[in-house]
Amino acid sequence: MQKIITIDPLTRIEGHLKFTTKIVDSVVVDAKCSAQLYRGIEKALIGYDARVAQQVTQRICGTCNYAHAEAAALALEDAMNIKPNKNGQLLRNLIVGAYQVHDYLFHFYLLCVFDFIDVKTIVNYKGTDNNLLKLKKWVETEQKSKKIFPMSPFLPKFKAIYSQNNNLNFFSINNYIEAFNIMVKLDKAVAIFGGKSPHPVTIEAGGVTTIPTLLALEKYKKLLDEVQKFVDEKYLPNIMKIAQEFKEYFHIGKGYANYLAFSYFPDENGNNHLFTGGVVLDGKYGNYDLDKIQEDIKYAYYEDTGHTKPLSNTKLTPINYAQYKKEQSKKNGKYSWSKAPRYDTNVMEVGPIARIIVTYKSGKNPRLNAFVDKINTQLNISFENYNSVMGRHLSRAIISHTIIEKLQDDLKRVEPNVSAYKENEVPKNAKGIGLTEGTRGSLAHWIETDKAGFIKNYELIVPTTWNISPRDSKGTPGVVEKMLIGTKIKDINNPIELARIIRSTDPCMACSVH
Amino acid sequence: MNRREALKKFYSIIIAVGASSFFSFEDLLAIDTQAIDKPNLIWLQGSSCTGCTLSLTNIEDISFIDFILEFVNVIYHPNLSHAEDEDVPSILNKAKKELKNNYLLVVEGSIPTLLPHACLFSNIPFLEWIEEMGANSKACIGVGTCASFGGITDMRGIETGASPLSKVMYEANINKPITNLPNCPLKPEHFVYTILYFIKFGKYPPLDRQFRPKLFFSKTIHETCMHFSEFQENIFASKINEKGCLFELGCQGPVTKSDCITNGLNANTNNCIKAGHPCIGCASEHFPRQIIFRSYNDKRNIQVFKEVPFGRKKIN
Repeated sequence: MQKIITIDPLTRIEGHLKFTTKIVDSVVVDAKCSAQLYRGIEKALIGYDARVAQQVTQRICGTCNYAHAEAAALALEDAMNIKPNKNGQLLRNLIVGAYQVHDYLFHFYLLCVFDFIDVKTIVNYKGTDNNLLKLKKWVETEQKSKKIFPMSPFLPKFKAIYSQNNNLNFFSINNYIEAFNIMVKLDKAVAIFGGKSPHPVTIEAGGVTTIPTLLALEKYKKLLDEVQKFVDEKYLPNIMKIAQEFKEYFHIGKGYANYLAFSYFPDENGNNHLFTGGVVLDGKYGNYDLDKIQEDIKYAYYEDTGHTKPLSNTKLTPINYAQYKKEQSKKNGKYSWSKAPRYDTNVMEVGPIARIIVTYKSGKNPRLNAFVDKINTQLNISFENYNSVMGRHLSRAIISHTIIEKLQDDLKRVEPNVSAYKENEVPKNAKGIGLTEGTRGSLAHWIETDKAGFIKNYELIVPTTWNISPRDSKGTPGVVEKMLIGTKIKDINNPIELARIIRSTDPCMACSVH
Repeated sequence: MNRREALKKFYSIIIAVGASSFFSFEDLLAIDTQAIDKPNLIWLQGSSCTGCTLSLTNIEDISFIDFILEFVNVIYHPNLSHAEDEDVPSILNKAKKELKNNYLLVVEGSIPTLLPHACLFSNIPFLEWIEEMGANSKACIGVGTCASFGGITDMRGIETGASPLSKVMYEANINKPITNLPNCPLKPEHFVYTILYFIKFGKYPPLDRQFRPKLFFSKTIHETCMHFSEFQENIFASKINEKGCLFELGCQGPVTKSDCITNGLNANTNNCIKAGHPCIGCASEHFPRQIIFRSYNDKRNIQVFKEVPFGRKKIN
């Protein structure tokens, strides 16, 4: 029996995503992901000052803004041929690291935890915790009420098998509530050196404009300690417990097993990155070659087709509404605003598992390898299981733990009251590349300036563009499309498996199309 | 923490934004009773980045979860709602009928008008959703600079025809109370205050010509800046981290109205100028300008690429 399931919109992700799957005998045989938002920021940046890129590109995304700020600053620094001073690099780490942990908590608790837990189970709670009792009372009142939308926004939701383990449910719900407070703390930590959060302003080419005072460092330390406690005692154990309860999700949502990650989180001299850059192709680690990156637009809503290298396709013209309607009516027409980046012809997965797998295989961070091995023993899983829904959730917690340890260390190295910024002129007729890892994976900015220092050309290839990409000219599906194909659906009217797979990749649609 | 203590903490936000004179603690306690009608909230995202939503979760002193459960009914929010797929349009269509003129429509992000397919929600252009949901709402709130003035989604060179909420409503001839809460991202205190005011008085607080609450947007960053006295004495910083007013480094403070300096950001943890960076003008109707931050000896002119939303013309 053949059936088409379209989910539109998928909520609890960043932005506007629609996906369509073809199901034969309860198994997904085909999938198409459509990014539904376009703004055209790259093209619009032309004519603006090179430094504006930092402020504008970070506004492409409200959740991984720090990463765009960093990548834009790195691209301009590359064009200037400079590096920030020691304090500049350390403060940048402190901003970026705190924000990334914030994002992982936001992703797991706000967006994902209720894929596995049902809030209604709180009515069985018999304990004395104030937060949980308050929520219990709210749920009971709402259920009895004659409202048009009782228990909104927690209902309606997919009818599916959620965790039956009440201890796990209460633990998760309690963490959900507490996570809000922890995220506030992380935002404050970012603001201490970033000026504000979201959208920290201070990361500029040349360093960070804030002068780290002793008081600021002390405040940051206090906040970080509280966050570290939550991540190590609540977040990581929470994911491990959910992983044990939903063990089958270590086998669901497999991608291509080709990974790309950029070097991320350097020491104060800009070297010895905490996470190694590289590619893993056919299970083998190697260095990446940026020349191999190209973007295919056959199935993207632009007037052209074919594929192009970075900086050569930023002036693409989006199709108009009439053309869009025409494409929709075609059997094999364009179906997404997202382009399809490819590495040679390979479809690469980027994101938390890519970062863990590339770093692990490179063997350059033995401490991380030991930690991963320890977790694997506890969960009785192998390294191959990371290519899955649970693997992605688990990787985020491992990265959070690792980053916080590094932040504690970096914090001690900051020299109080020493400027973290070096003044430099905006480079003219220059080119630069900025590579970093955002919340969702490998992020690259390319910049080219004109004779007045204004932007001549700007290009971004963003993590979610890699993951959510449509098919390329050869018809090869994107990473998330590949993950969906082959998935068995238990209840065709409540395809929670698909939602769990897509959410595990943390798609950010605003980023992917920009 | 009992309820009264929780509300006390919550009240500290009201004090912090300087609204205690017309909003007493007793008023807040009165809101607490189950007898009052919590406003129904429908939050939609257009050409947006979710930054305003994230910023809203940063309410200090009280948990965000308390706010959404006890002060408002969140009928729909893209990042909070557990509903997905066809449940979402059915919630909105039901709300349109059964909560007619009885919900607040909150819009994050701008609305593409020239390329309607540049923002699709449930495969329907976002513009159509706004016109329908706007017409049936009690009042609308544009959160963030994109929804208020277009922001970066309407910078020069954008082809989608991204429009702020107020302009779309005006052009569709929908006459509903509207308020804009610019700042990129939205400052959570502005939102909480506006909602509390609405609960108490059933209307928006006094607004300026751009529909911004006067309480927050009547003074420029410059007027309230800690470097203002240095400006008066003609002491200007010639580079970052130097003593003096940041005007020569491109500071947008003189042309940007908001309360970033007086009330700070992230529960008064910091603000951009205190962090050593010139104001980038993110709350301004002109955001982003051609040059935002520049060296002291940079003689290029800072151009305005945008005019105010109504009757705007673009300067090339």
